[in-house]
Amino acid sequence: MVSIHLRDVCLDYPLYGAYDFSLKRRLLGRLFRQASEMRTIRAVDNISIEAKAGVRIGLAGPNGSGKSTLLRLIAGVFPATSGQVEITGNIVPLLGLGAGVNLDFVAADNINLLLRISGRKPTQAILDDIWAFTELEERMQRLPLRMFSSGMLMRVLFATATAFPADILLLDEWLSVVDENFSAKAEQRLRKMVESAAIVVIASHDQGLLRRTCNSIINLDHGRIASSVALDPPVPHHLELREISA
Amino acid sequence: MIRIEPPMIVANEPARRPSVLHIFKVYYPDLFGGTLTVIRDICASLKDTFNAAVLVCSRSGGERQIVVNDVAVERVHSFGDVLSLPAAPTYPWRLWRRIAEHDLLALHAPFPLADLVFAFGLGRSRPLVVHWHADIVSHAALRFLVEPMMRRTLRRAAAIIVSDPVLIETTPLLQEFSDKCHAVPFGVDVAKYDRPAAQADDVNARGRLVLACGRLVPYKGFDVLVRAAHARNFEVWIVGEGRERDNLEQLIRDYGLQDRVRLLGSVSESERVKLMRIADVFVMPSVTNAETFGLVQLEAMAASRPIVNTALDTGVPHVARDGLEAITVPPGDAAALADAIETLINDPERRRRMGQAARHRATAKYSTTAFKEGVETVYRKVVAEQAATKDASSSAPGLHPQMAGPVGAIRIAAALAWSDMRHRYVRSLLGPFWMSIQMAIMVAVLGSVIGHLSNSGAMARLPMLAASLTAWTFLNSVVLDATTALQGSASLIKDRALPPVIFLLQCTFRQALFAAHNAVVPLLLWLALTPRDFAGAMVALPGLVLFVACTMALSLVLGALATRYRDIKPVIESSLTLAFLASPIIWTSEMVDRGSTVMRLNPLTHLFAIWRDPLATGHVAMGSLVYVLACLAALAVAATITIAHLRKAAFWI
Repeated sequence: MVSIHLRDVCLDYPLYGAYDFSLKRRLLGRLFRQASEMRTIRAVDNISIEAKAGVRIGLAGPNGSGKSTLLRLIAGVFPATSGQVEITGNIVPLLGLGAGVNLDFVAADNINLLLRISGRKPTQAILDDIWAFTELEERMQRLPLRMFSSGMLMRVLFATATAFPADILLLDEWLSVVDENFSAKAEQRLRKMVESAAIVVIASHDQGLLRRTCNSIINLDHGRIASSVALDPPVPHHLELREISA
Repeated sequence: MIRIEPPMIVANEPARRPSVLHIFKVYYPDLFGGTLTVIRDICASLKDTFNAAVLVCSRSGGERQIVVNDVAVERVHSFGDVLSLPAAPTYPWRLWRRIAEHDLLALHAPFPLADLVFAFGLGRSRPLVVHWHADIVSHAALRFLVEPMMRRTLRRAAAIIVSDPVLIETTPLLQEFSDKCHAVPFGVDVAKYDRPAAQADDVNARGRLVLACGRLVPYKGFDVLVRAAHARNFEVWIVGEGRERDNLEQLIRDYGLQDRVRLLGSVSESERVKLMRIADVFVMPSVTNAETFGLVQLEAMAASRPIVNTALDTGVPHVARDGLEAITVPPGDAAALADAIETLINDPERRRRMGQAARHRATAKYSTTAFKEGVETVYRKVVAEQAATKDASSSAPGLHPQMAGPVGAIRIAAALAWSDMRHRYVRSLLGPFWMSIQMAIMVAVLGSVIGHLSNSGAMARLPMLAASLTAWTFLNSVVLDATTALQGSASLIKDRALPPVIFLLQCTFRQALFAAHNAVVPLLLWLALTPRDFAGAMVALPGLVLFVACTMALSLVLGALATRYRDIKPVIESSLTLAFLASPIIWTSEMVDRGSTVMRLNPLTHLFAIWRDPLATGHVAMGSLVYVLACLAALAVAATITIAHLRKAAFWI
């Protein structure tokens, strides 16, 4: 069963660089009895979240309130300092599209590498499906990504990142593809991916988006849960689409 | 575990038709026959719902990939038939390679060559439907070999399709799996046998033409039919070709029946339809249970012919029933067969009645639509069940594509390293081996310099110098790469949540690939300039493995440290330069005083000695080995602690 289970989770983010942690400082500090505690910021403070299949969580809050850190904590990037974290399910973190891309390689090789990075064995059929979604010409598969315009690059990366369904989908801001013709299609695919995932966590500043997509919204402030709102079941899909096209 | 799932299909894209691979021993145009007609009809009638492909053997050579009636047919070369089986040694391998490309496998049994693949448990990922055309009746002595394989295939099959329900009861092997057997009778296109309007009466009062069709093989019992014609006055025409032809011709000559019994050979399908229309009686004299259904008697029924068939334990006497559409006689009984034929020849009214009954039964009970729907239902059910189990297992935990533990991490690291190596080729002027050329130049220059330093022959030293430089380059690059690896992959660690250890492993893998390029130089020099002591090289291998293991552990520890504490990196860089000069890499320990304490304490001395000494002298120094093993143990402990701490690596970058 897919689930996210966080209980009393805290995360202290160490602030390397801002303070002097050097050996000299530590030894002298001890000699001169200076305060030698680690300088940290509590990025996630005592958060408990229970999510079972079907839950779509929106994370709202001002900049620096811990949204992204919480997403990365769920993804397993950061270990919790204290508390319980138990996550079952295949997590697909869509936190940035550009990771792992090599601009000198041709598009097809990049797609294959990105698929391997996410643990999939690339096959011609998968590659063809991804390429069909980008709506780019067949021969461009054999061009290095360096030759692609930023819009075209975005199409390839988006199509690759969203090719497979996820049990747990983590989104840091709704992925936007800045291309008049393509963005509607990308939006639709992302929406479909959100629908097919068992659990979705989206961090966003856009309250409207969160209300449309999620069934519970958690407001974060300084790493704490300031308030959480359970919403009515999401509006039927066709209404959403009308709203977008309007 | 790595799982492959089809990419998400977006709503406005049309759903793909599932594809079926038909597996059989032979196909058009190499042969014609009942089973092939069935396969062809399945392919043609299901073409709107399933993409069909056929994998068979062929003796004729020619094109490997052909298209027959819009169906892609792949033919595997066979060297001829051995015990009724095509001798195609590559067939199982080719079948295994093709399995993953299809959604459903349709095995037309018996075909032990394909059973071989399924018996070994290959191709489990795709559902299998067995079309049971016949049991193996000939070569009964070899049955003990084939039967266990057939049983395994049937056990693995999702469904078994037979042509007549009686086969499930009478075939011992099918009884074991009766719960997944489906009886789907073959169909015949009755309209094809409609007689032209001009030909008013189809029953001829003087008629005495007896027709039989089938490959000229023993189980068809045509010899019985020839013997039955002896001392009677009907004419027998036999359509078909096969290895029994010579025997049958001899038999016809022996009985002196050349004027009344004719072997027509292979004829086209339209010709066969015409012959069925002009014949007076159709005979199916088959003598063994290899004849399970008798598709050809169904065709004769569609052409309104009265049938004479044999009382086999198969569907044969059920398709055309004794007294209604046929006269059924004991198999192999020439006199009874002749009597039955004569009864019909002499009674035009009975021929007409039976012919009408036969046509009616073919239309009502054996329509092509019913056959198509029967097969389609089974195929759809099997594909749907497979999709359901796939869905169920994909939502179960533990089968995720990512998070595959150490194996998954190593796979990803290897893929990244491979890509790094490819990156070195991209936009290079000298091609893949520019690295090797670089190494060759370095060896040449250093070799000539050192040749002047020492009095011994510079040429004899070159292979060892090249090997040492290759190994040192490997160690040096792995450690240097590791110090920057985590920062360089920050986005993959933070945005894709990949475990940081992957990127430290990647350094070792990548440099191992590069070292493989460099190793061409010492290898060529070793082959050219030394006595080529292969035994010594074998003894050196465990030492090399230890060398690589130490390098990997060292890179894990130093890579993590250098990421956490930024001043470690310059320290490592200068230490490596010092180590290069202080260790016997470009010089050898013979050149300096062996008693030097620094030399003896320097772990690199021993790390090189454990594989260089066997290469040079054929045996390994125990002292060095113990020293290296102790170092490795210490490094392993440090690496384990490092990996535990690497969870926090995301904070450091």
